Amino acid sequence: MTISHHPPEDLLADFATGALDEAERLVVGVHVADCHRCRRFVRAVEQLAGASLDQAEPVAMGAGAFDAVMARIDRRPQSAPVVREVAEVDPELADLPEMVKRCKIGKRRRVAPGISMRPIMLSGTGKSRAFLLRSEPGARMLEHTHSGNELTCVLKGSFSHLGGYYGPGDFDYGDDEVDHRPVVGDEGPCLCLVAMTGDLRMHGLLGRIISPFVRL
Amino acid sequence: MASASRGPKATVDWAELIGRVAARGDREAFKALFEHFAPRIKGFLIKTGCNPDEAEEIAQSTMVSVWTKAAQFDPSTAGAAAWIFTIARNQRIDAARKATREGRLSKEIVLDEEADPTLAADQIVSRVEDATRVAAAIERLSVEQSTVIRLSFIEERPHSEIAAVLGLPLGTVKSRIRLAMNRLRDLLDDAT
Repeated sequence: MTISHHPPEDLLADFATGALDEAERLVVGVHVADCHRCRRFVRAVEQLAGASLDQAEPVAMGAGAFDAVMARIDRRPQSAPVVREVAEVDPELADLPEMVKRCKIGKRRRVAPGISMRPIMLSGTGKSRAFLLRSEPGARMLEHTHSGNELTCVLKGSFSHLGGYYGPGDFDYGDDEVDHRPVVGDEGPCLCLVAMTGDLRMHGLLGRIISPFVRL
Repeated sequence: MASASRGPKATVDWAELIGRVAARGDREAFKALFEHFAPRIKGFLIKTGCNPDEAEEIAQSTMVSVWTKAAQFDPSTAGAAAWIFTIARNQRIDAARKATREGRLSKEIVLDEEADPTLAADQIVSRVEDATRVAAAIERLSVEQSTVIRLSFIEERPHSEIAAVLGLPLGTVKSRIRLAMNRLRDLLDDAT
């Protein structure tokens, strides 16, 4: 697998410092887990952040903080066995990245002919939503615009637009200026992980669909 | 190595102390780590927007994790301060998640791969090579460049404030941040 499209550096830096919201963190995290080059960049920002932490002006801890920490360490269960919940068998999710498999994923909703989505249930702390978007080969993309950003990581299959060819692991960053008309590759369905902020404005008759929908 | 922990007070080998905690639950070593890092984690968190109570709690839970994860620390791939930073970052994310009802019910999205004993030898080698490359790239960043990265991304200060701190026009600050990020990317790509 050759990854050729990467997140912009400021997004990687915000990922490294923990500044992204949950949905964005998930999509960038899935790319970074697969991309050696971006992982190095994240490590570099973590090193800079470590130096900054080490040189931070110390603020005295509360009285008894050390004893409180030792008490928590002594109280913790001794090597509690990690019980993994046995997830329901879901063939579509079986070969997805670990980070996605650990999420709670909602029911499939049809968005348009050949296009469906499954929401990812997050804790609701962030502004953006995350979902899996599945498009059949030849599915026709709806024309739409949105007011916020859209982060996409390809999980399976591919699509192409003016920006190039996007295969598994590739990351696509769209803002409100983008108006591509992507075409799904014919090797099979294209599954993407998407984080999106802002409103969607559909064009034409399908504008009544309120479901999140993206420029894929 | 150790570029992250190299500072005016880098007389203590923090990595060695973490190793002692991992090897034999050495409380003296842990106390030294606590006394150095806990107040700095707290100060760092307050500087980046936490209130003092949150910062105290996150600093404490970070130190608990430093103890429990000490065996996962690999000094050949990360500096002690950077490793502790990543723990504090994850604790902060987790604290925000737990503050919501849905978050308490949901599972944590684990950010980074924990040290995995099943890693193939070549992956371990590549991590060590990466660490060397990362350290070399950071060395080669100019002070001006690492300063804007620190102010903008690590301390999360608004561009207008950075402009005021550095005495530069806003447009210059924005382009300097962009150039610094591109330079870091280039250094990481080329350096061998």
